[in-house]
Amino acid sequence: MPEPLVKFLTYVFLALLYLFFLRVLRAVWIELREPRATAPIPDATAGAYMPPPEPQRPGNSRRKKSERLRIVEPAARRGQNFDLGDELTVGRAPSCGISLPDDTFVSQIHARLFRRDQDLWIEDLGSTNGTFLNEHKVSAPAVMHRGDRLKVGRTVLEVTR
Amino acid sequence: MSAVLPRRRPARRRTELGLLILAVILTGGLYVLAAEGKAGSLPANIGPFLAVIFALLLIAHLAVRRLARNADPVLLPMAGVLNGIGYVFIARLSPTQARYQAAWTAIGVLVFVATLLLVRRARDLERYRYTFAFLGIGLLILPLVPHIGENINGARLWIHLGPLNFQPGEIAKLALAVFFASVLVERADLLSQPTLRIGRFIFIDPRYLAPILMAWGVSLLIFLAENDLGSSFLFFALFIGMLWIATGRTLYLGLGAGLFVAGSIFALKAIGHAQSRIQAWLNPWAHAETTGYQSIQGWFAIAAGKVFGEGPGQSSAGHIPEASTDYIFAVIANELGLLGATAVLVAFLLMVGSGLRIALRAQRDFEKLLAAGLSLILGVQAFVIVGGVIRLIPLTGITLPFVSYGGSSLVANYILLAILLRTSHDIETPQAIPPGAAGIVIDTTLTGISGIQRESA
Repeated sequence: MPEPLVKFLTYVFLALLYLFFLRVLRAVWIELREPRATAPIPDATAGAYMPPPEPQRPGNSRRKKSERLRIVEPAARRGQNFDLGDELTVGRAPSCGISLPDDTFVSQIHARLFRRDQDLWIEDLGSTNGTFLNEHKVSAPAVMHRGDRLKVGRTVLEVTR
Repeated sequence: MSAVLPRRRPARRRTELGLLILAVILTGGLYVLAAEGKAGSLPANIGPFLAVIFALLLIAHLAVRRLARNADPVLLPMAGVLNGIGYVFIARLSPTQARYQAAWTAIGVLVFVATLLLVRRARDLERYRYTFAFLGIGLLILPLVPHIGENINGARLWIHLGPLNFQPGEIAKLALAVFFASVLVERADLLSQPTLRIGRFIFIDPRYLAPILMAWGVSLLIFLAENDLGSSFLFFALFIGMLWIATGRTLYLGLGAGLFVAGSIFALKAIGHAQSRIQAWLNPWAHAETTGYQSIQGWFAIAAGKVFGEGPGQSSAGHIPEASTDYIFAVIANELGLLGATAVLVAFLLMVGSGLRIALRAQRDFEKLLAAGLSLILGVQAFVIVGGVIRLIPLTGITLPFVSYGGSSLVANYILLAILLRTSHDIETPQAIPPGAAGIVIDTTLTGISGIQRESA
């Protein structure tokens, strides 16, 4: 090969090398943008909660009892509200409706909230440290009312409207 | 209840394959150019060469596809391109070393696959922390054992088993990184909260600082016993860096710097080897033919490279001592110029960046720290040797990861890569909790925090 050609090809090589890096950056960039562009995947790290789709059942459309759960403790998440659907799990797993990944005293799937005959029930799901309703340990499913305090791990939640 | 389904990311593997093919093209192109520059003809074995590197990278890719399909897509191609560029320069400097390097690359890829096979979950490594601690320390002191250890270039880092020379310290780095990560995860809280009250001031209880002082002591001991400046600095920087990441307290960086200065002064007084290194750093021209020769020839080579380099295979940088190991960066800067040398640094930047991105995305503290620690190993190594070559810091013999000639380093770095990819796969694959499984409490590991309540994982 003549020398100028080798020199030219060397430049081509260097250009390709940087193109390779650009490809790498693009691959990273696409991934960074991906979650926002596609389906709304709940971001477990931020502890953000996506409300479950409202059940649109004809017989139950009054929605008179639309309680919510509000975090009282820890201070870092105080005031955060959770709308209650028909059923909701509480736990450290990101898939839980009320996901508490930062509280290490909460089990992966700790407790379950559900609605039966317009009442709101709480049931412990065999958690390690127990679920407490107004400082009483929940050993069998119990009805919750407005103002009740629910304690899982170190997190305290209050039933509000 | 909004269930997070396990995300499959086939796009990641497609990206990886595309980048790997580019890496093979780049390596092959550089190989041809180097042969053209050196001998003026096409290399005879270009066909088999391309086939072999493609096959090796393909094996690695298929292993990732099979065993860690959600792993980061850019790390493996980056390693491939660095390994390929390194190989071309080694082949251009010494055909004998190139044959060994080729064999070691093959072994490295096999070990990479084996690591992916063996380590099915990165967080399982946490359970074997003391095994790793003993393994690491054992490997570190192995070269000191008579009959097995060997002195090369004034540093006692090698063991030879039959025809094989091996630097066990390279593997020890990884073992100790795992150990550090698991210990720090456990103690981060204690180390970040000052608890000891003396008068009006609150200090961090010195009892909890014992591991840091131990790391310092061990790194100093290695330094004294084996004359290995580079590795002891790497261990120390790794530990302090991980401590800082785990606790988030800048205090430790200051403490580390202080201990480092103290250790350096002590070492300077005690070891002649270190003194000559410092002299060669501060004033190489005083001994241009002896201790300063390597540094000076290195700068000449870098300076002669200018922006575009003298062309692959066309320079005379081969006369620099240790051109294929410690000084490979100078050779690259000479033949590919500023642009080529910058490209190598960019590659490391991107690798470390990808590693830290894995650490950021990880939710478990252990995975976070492990990924950060492994990235630190890569980054600190590249910094120490490149900084040494360009005279930013005193020169210490350490390999440029994936690029330098050296089997143990290559194998260790492939293991590192495998663990990073495994971690990445783990964090991108959330455990799916099937809708019917509510009520099953997953109680896997108990990270020991002594408290009133038991902790459930």
